[in-house]
Amino acid sequence: MSLDLLARVLDTLLPGDGPWPAASAVDLADAVRADREGDPDGQVDAVLARLPEGFASADADAREAMLRALESELPTAFERLVTLAYTAYYVEPEVRAVIERETGYENRPPQPLGYALEPFDERLLDSQRKRAPFWREA
Amino acid sequence: MTPTHAAVAIIGAGASGAAVAWRLATAGVDVVCLERGDWLDQSRSPSLGHDWERALQTRFNANPNIRRLDADDAVIADDSDIQPATYSGVGGSLLRWGAHFPRLRPSDFRVRTLDGVAVDWPLAYGDLEPYYDLNDAMMGVAGLRGDPGNPPRRAERDPPLPLGPGGVRLVGGFETLGWHWWPSDAAILTRARPGRAPCNNCGPCGVGCVRGARASVDNTYWPAAIAAGARLVTGVRVTRLVADKRRMTSVVYRDAAGAEHRLDADLVVMAANGMGTARLLLASGIGNASGLVGRNLMHHPTAIVTGVFDARLDGHKGPFAAALSCQEFYETDRARGAVRGLQLQMLRGSGPVATALGGYMARLPWGRFHHREFSRQFARNVTLTVTVEDLPEAHNRVTLDPSRRDVAGVPLARLAYRVGENSRRLLDIGIARAREALRAAGAVDVVVNPLSRAAGFHFLGTARAGDDPATSVVDGYGRAHDLDNLWVVDGSVFPTSGAVNPTPTIQAFALRTADAMLRILKP
Repeated sequence: MSLDLLARVLDTLLPGDGPWPAASAVDLADAVRADREGDPDGQVDAVLARLPEGFASADADAREAMLRALESELPTAFERLVTLAYTAYYVEPEVRAVIERETGYENRPPQPLGYALEPFDERLLDSQRKRAPFWREA
Repeated sequence: MTPTHAAVAIIGAGASGAAVAWRLATAGVDVVCLERGDWLDQSRSPSLGHDWERALQTRFNANPNIRRLDADDAVIADDSDIQPATYSGVGGSLLRWGAHFPRLRPSDFRVRTLDGVAVDWPLAYGDLEPYYDLNDAMMGVAGLRGDPGNPPRRAERDPPLPLGPGGVRLVGGFETLGWHWWPSDAAILTRARPGRAPCNNCGPCGVGCVRGARASVDNTYWPAAIAAGARLVTGVRVTRLVADKRRMTSVVYRDAAGAEHRLDADLVVMAANGMGTARLLLASGIGNASGLVGRNLMHHPTAIVTGVFDARLDGHKGPFAAALSCQEFYETDRARGAVRGLQLQMLRGSGPVATALGGYMARLPWGRFHHREFSRQFARNVTLTVTVEDLPEAHNRVTLDPSRRDVAGVPLARLAYRVGENSRRLLDIGIARAREALRAAGAVDVVVNPLSRAAGFHFLGTARAGDDPATSVVDGYGRAHDLDNLWVVDGSVFPTSGAVNPTPTIQAFALRTADAMLRILKP
């Protein structure tokens, strides 16, 4: 099944929107194809094989309608495709850079830097400390 | 060299097996532990790379049926409302846990007496208390004394983990409502120990901890046990237990190459969790005169209630499962419409992939509105899990699959589990309370998952402890009623589940059992 057709599907799932790149802008089809571990039984191909004729040349609204129909017919396989697409998209460095700009979520792995371990503010517990024990003796 | 004899053979190198091995080895007992998995090098955790969230979907996935590593046996769970979430290796499921570390309360041991349901434990909170303390010291716990919802803690604690902006918001909600909350006891260091650095708040504990801050017995009990002489054999599959009348004689296992070995032992300890222990006892036809092995399976049914806020909460910072919990509704109040109780536990936010896939909420829609919804939710939510006490019901059980076997020929485990009526009521009560708390905290939207199918972390009750051999499998020390030298120390001994994470109680029970064994081995 061609990468072009997969790219068209992925652009329908994840179209560009403002700062967010479309799936094809980050070569998502290559990444999804490469994730054999995530699709050991070829569910993506099962979805592509059932695409209606004319899908590739249809406009965005028509493509979305076609995929929604396919999602109803092949829920398990389609969910696999969406999972692979989201996973590949949100680990792309270019997408991570957008997340950092838009939300402040750092574009780096959690380790080794981690984040500051701020001290716990015990003043938050003032009212709880005044409460009598309420666990049951037994 | 392949061991052929041990004073004590332990099956499973997870939370309980490690505790027993350490306690016995440091008293000079010859211990051999057999473990199906291997050591996990946590210093190379996926948290060091950009694709750590992909690892959570694959090789660190909680579900062995999805993860499918060499040590993972398939679990037949078509007839279960809740799917298994376990891990095989030195450390067991602690290798990917969140390290929330609560204890049961005294009332949890007297459910029948106090509330007229299920059964009492054959031991009391006070029997376990010194072992809870010892276990805290071995694992290393961050937290704070003085919780009015629990008996006083004697063991030293590191300072508690920070709550983060989401936690502070949530505290505001609880305070507005006048409800209990307290910072979590967490098996996570906030001060350095030899060989273990303090937590640096990175977040994804579920892919292993590069710093060793999060306790998992491979970095706590096992180094000390091995230094004391315990022998740990990894990558081997126990295929059957062999007994002669009332005495265990040996454990038969296969190595990675398929060669069969026999380990003779004076005492045998099952520590393979509530699924693995039941499976092996049933496959061996041992210890089941009561007919209760595998029955009374309890989980902790969990609902997930997430609040979306209109401000950035930075939920990716900090251990995902250890921040605070609310036990306002822990004890029985029949006016609520159910017996026993529940805990609300805070979870911090998800990473980008998990947010898109719906981590704690629904999977985000694909298509033209995807990015808008991602921007609305990402880094702006905080979650309360509703964890309820599950009552024992005989039809909920672990059995052996009649046809499918693992690579060593042992029948696979089959789960039959349905959420009971009381548990469902408690979940609904908890969902309503969690919704209330999140709204009081300022959430602009609240999303509910009424039952997390993925939350099969705790397998409890499948070899229950009790005084009567007709209604229990082991006694109050985990010693089998049917055999004089077989002991069980994992979560399968729980007569009832409580409504909190079981690991501290499992480990305390195991340490107490080890002392009982020492009284026999070294009178």
